[in-house]
Amino acid sequence: MSFPHKYNRTHRGLIAVIFATIAITLAGCTHQSATQSTTLYERLGGQGTIDTVVENLLYRIADDLEVVVFFANTNIDLFAESLASQLCDVSDGPCRYEGPPMGRAHQHMGLTDAHFNRLVEHLDAAMQAQGIALGARNELLGRLAPMYADVMRLQ
Amino acid sequence: MMLFQSMFSPPTAPFRHSLSGYLAPCLAVCLAFAAATSSAGSRIVGTGGVSAIEGAAGGGLSPWAVLTSTASEQEIGVTAAATRAWVDDYRLTVTGASLNVYDRIEVSVARQTLDLDTLGGELGQDIYGAKVRLLGDVLYHPWGIWSVGMQHKQLIDGTIPTALGADKTSGTDVYLSASKLLFSAVAGRNVLLNATLRNTNANQGGLLGFGGEQRSRSWMAEGSVGVFITPQWVVGAEYRQKPDNLIVAKEDDWQSLYNAYFFNKHLSLTGAWLNLGDIAGLPSQRGGYLSLQAAF
Repeated sequence: MSFPHKYNRTHRGLIAVIFATIAITLAGCTHQSATQSTTLYERLGGQGTIDTVVENLLYRIADDLEVVVFFANTNIDLFAESLASQLCDVSDGPCRYEGPPMGRAHQHMGLTDAHFNRLVEHLDAAMQAQGIALGARNELLGRLAPMYADVMRLQ
Repeated sequence: MMLFQSMFSPPTAPFRHSLSGYLAPCLAVCLAFAAATSSAGSRIVGTGGVSAIEGAAGGGLSPWAVLTSTASEQEIGVTAAATRAWVDDYRLTVTGASLNVYDRIEVSVARQTLDLDTLGGELGQDIYGAKVRLLGDVLYHPWGIWSVGMQHKQLIDGTIPTALGADKTSGTDVYLSASKLLFSAVAGRNVLLNATLRNTNANQGGLLGFGGEQRSRSWMAEGSVGVFITPQWVVGAEYRQKPDNLIVAKEDDWQSLYNAYFFNKHLSLTGAWLNLGDIAGLPSQRGGYLSLQAAF
């Protein structure tokens, strides 16, 4: 069996090229987003779109029996305002979130991963309904994802 | 439905053994259920990967740290998968099923049948797998998700592998795996990374037996990168390092370029291009791969 060596080199060469391409693309994109002048807030569509997304999200929550129970004692107007300012803040908009920290806001609610996941799905669907581009949606979800640890800390 | 029919009734009957014989109708029932019911795990679509050829949740060639289906805490998920790979001189058929309990424990069973189109005959093995999530989450945890797993493999007929120099007709792989999704990493698209370290004595995944004259157990690295072009469509590459235990049958690393589409949380279709190198003395095995997974 004397084919192996030449062939193995082709193998490794091909995989090296693939990984190099991905690495370069990754580096290129990071560089691009770093030099981009538009903020995520602008790419989401500004405060108007964020407010509409929050409203759309609240309708989805209201229709979801598994999730709506957690809002039984919530002042919805206050919550909507607070969430909108948080999304604005997180996306580098001209707001400062002044609500409670995520740990305290969710403490002892008995939330499970299932509830967390459903809210993520509802938020993404609400953004999609407002025609927000996939890139901006992914970036916002990426900025919110690390909040999981705080939200779940005091369950 | 045309697709299902063509996968379940190929010109040469692939289901010659009892386990596969049971799995095939089970799979059909699962698919019917999946289409009819709306219940699914609450994890985000795609976060369970697809069914790898050894039954565990993963890519095509390698197990990933994620657990099968989209079952989350307090949920149970079941998947069934049918897979075909065609390379120059061989054809691999895999039927498998897996269970996810509370997104903590995964157990899987798979039957592999390798038709030796050029050499004549066939090889087969059963694979019983288990995987435990140690910590984390592929989306939300800064370190991603980490799991350990094992795969116990038992050849159906060890005559050919033993004749080629394999020590044993059964073996057990153990592996440590980590997976992590990077949000908005390439052109606003999410990127899925996976790395697996496997301790194995399997030759060609076990189909050519276990151990050999050159070496017995060794550590092998496996990895993959995938880009979610849309939340339902991931394209990527996978690489699996392989041991080379048999003197008479040189073994190469495996690689694939894959493409998986999640129609919804219940159904995914994976297509891939494979480059498996030399297998049992026949060089340069390349070809295609199709896998259908149903989850509920």
